[in-house]
Amino acid sequence: MKTILQAEDLEKIYHVGSVDVPALRGVSLDVAEGEFLAIMGPSGCGKSTLLHLLGGLLTPTRGRIVIDGEDLTAASDAKRTDMRRRKIGFVFQRFNLFPTLTAEGNLRLAERIHAGNSGSGDAERRREVLRLLQIESKMHHKPSELSGGEQQRVALARAVVTRPALVLADEPTGNLDSENSAIVLNMFQEMNYRFNQTIIMITHNPEAAAMCRRIVQMRDGQIVAPGGGIQL
Amino acid sequence: MESLVTNNIRQRPLRALVSMAGVALGVCLVMLFTGLARGQAHDLQRRSSNLRAEILFTRPGALGLTSSTANLSTKYVAELLKIDGVVQAVPAIRYVFQGNKGFGFEQVEGVDWQPYAEMNGLRIIEGRAPQANDEIVMDETKVRESQRTVGDTMGLFGGQPYKIVGVYAPEAEARVKMSLAAMQDALEAPSKCSYILVKVRDGEDPLAMAQRINTALPGNTIQLTRDVMTNIEKQIPFLGVFLRSLVVLAAIVSAFVVMLAMYTTITERTREIGMLKALGASRGYIVSVIEKEALVISVLGLAAGFVISFGAGFLIHRAAGLSFEYSWTWGLAAVLIGIGGGTVGALYPAMRAANLDPVNALSYE
Ligand SMILES: Nc1ncnc2c1ncn2[C@@H]1O[C@H](COP(=O)(O)OP(=O)(O)OP(=O)(O)O)[C@@H](O)[C@H]1O
Ligand SMILES: [Mg+2]
Repeated sequence: MKTILQAEDLEKIYHVGSVDVPALRGVSLDVAEGEFLAIMGPSGCGKSTLLHLLGGLLTPTRGRIVIDGEDLTAASDAKRTDMRRRKIGFVFQRFNLFPTLTAEGNLRLAERIHAGNSGSGDAERRREVLRLLQIESKMHHKPSELSGGEQQRVALARAVVTRPALVLADEPTGNLDSENSAIVLNMFQEMNYRFNQTIIMITHNPEAAAMCRRIVQMRDGQIVAPGGGIQL
Repeated sequence: MESLVTNNIRQRPLRALVSMAGVALGVCLVMLFTGLARGQAHDLQRRSSNLRAEILFTRPGALGLTSSTANLSTKYVAELLKIDGVVQAVPAIRYVFQGNKGFGFEQVEGVDWQPYAEMNGLRIIEGRAPQANDEIVMDETKVRESQRTVGDTMGLFGGQPYKIVGVYAPEAEARVKMSLAAMQDALEAPSKCSYILVKVRDGEDPLAMAQRINTALPGNTIQLTRDVMTNIEKQIPFLGVFLRSLVVLAAIVSAFVVMLAMYTTITERTREIGMLKALGASRGYIVSVIEKEALVISVLGLAAGFVISFGAGFLIHRAAGLSFEYSWTWGLAAVLIGIGGGTVGALYPAMRAANLDPVNALSYE
């Protein structure tokens, strides 16, 4: 099976004044295409830092990241942005959506940026994603007119509508009640299953993690349990 | 299609309006001032073009058609008439004062009516010529604008009452005229005038005549009326400099207002900029989103500025009789100021947004 992500010996040190804060201390991770992977670990162990590195929002102090055959760490800032545009979809804990745009407008904006600021996107794909996530009827609503769970489903729709090689989600259900969490997590599973969408999800919730095929455990900037290997 | 740009503007209509007003203000400054300068200059020019005298004889230092000094002795009239080729020499005093509506300037002339009217082809179309020291005549435009008629009085020289005894046509130079003696009396300048209009014999070359007069009466300023007429815009000192400074000022105002607006916009939308970055939007894309917003604001402000300028020009013309003439060149300058100022002003905020750190931007509350 194709390896979509390879991270080798990642180290990230934040500099706060004259103090060095080591957030990651040698993290290596391989993720195959179609995996749905959870990252768990106590607060401050470096999960978000890892996710930001994998998405090219941060550069590692040391180490290498290859996504879908392209080396992210060797790339310039502009090149990393470009790789993010082509290969990565993000879902954050909250405030994922552009508040002035409708659900559909948010999706179309992502499609536009993905297509290099041209075209009007793939209406078919957009409808399919919105239907699978059961938010078709809300597509003309603004974020403020959607519930938290609906907002996160739109955020997920936006992340997958451009068929990225990798979806990175940082506690996507962290702000939701258990009912909405369950719905959103089901949707993640659905996207993973229907589109063979590779997903890496940070979560504190063991039930959420249980839905994933693989759970990576982190502690103190290191991976302590890499999960059950690549499962087919 | 809904867009980030237009939706962002609609999100904060007041701020958008304020920035548009800033751009509009710049445009209004330029259009109204240049329109007024041109309009007034052309108005003067039109009136002076009715003068039939070819030569204007003045003392050095007088500004010609906009002069207000009476420093020339009327004894030069006789001297001028002695020169071969001079057929008429008519002295006149021009008095320029602040308009009673508070802006612009108005003029009154003192001339010996009979020879002046004869020389320049003026006719009394109502009433009679001014005779006594408290009598004046006006042209039709002045009658209309001042809403007075023959028999009414009008205050001049700080409220002195003057009786309107007649109306003349066509318009020529100052719209209000009195006798030379009356003006000399009012200015306490007996046997003085501002300039002497000289009419040369038919067939004489005015330039050659001017040289001849200069030889005969050296030390004076001899101008051809046709030169003075075409140079009115240049005669108002520093007008060009003033207008150019105004344009620069307008551009700065526009740029500054748009810069402030866009700066607060990007601060407010830091998270959204972080999201754009997470979506993989390039710096160029982020700059373009912000520049487009500034451009929309500038264009709307520009349009508003033109509408307000024309409206205000019309109203001022109705209320104060000042004429406005807009030129394509200054109109184009206003367009450049509005759009240039807006886009340049937005550049700094746009660059700042494009250079934001994505992780920090995303965690901004
Ligand atoms: N911008 C930063 N500057 C300095 N230190 C930072 C910065 N971001 C994170 N850190 C530090 O790096 C370590 C890892 O942070 P990170 O946000 O990756 O943890 P996390 O596992 O995502 O925690 P949580 O579960 O609370 O979200 C922490 O000690 C944190 O204080
Ligand atoms: Mg975190």
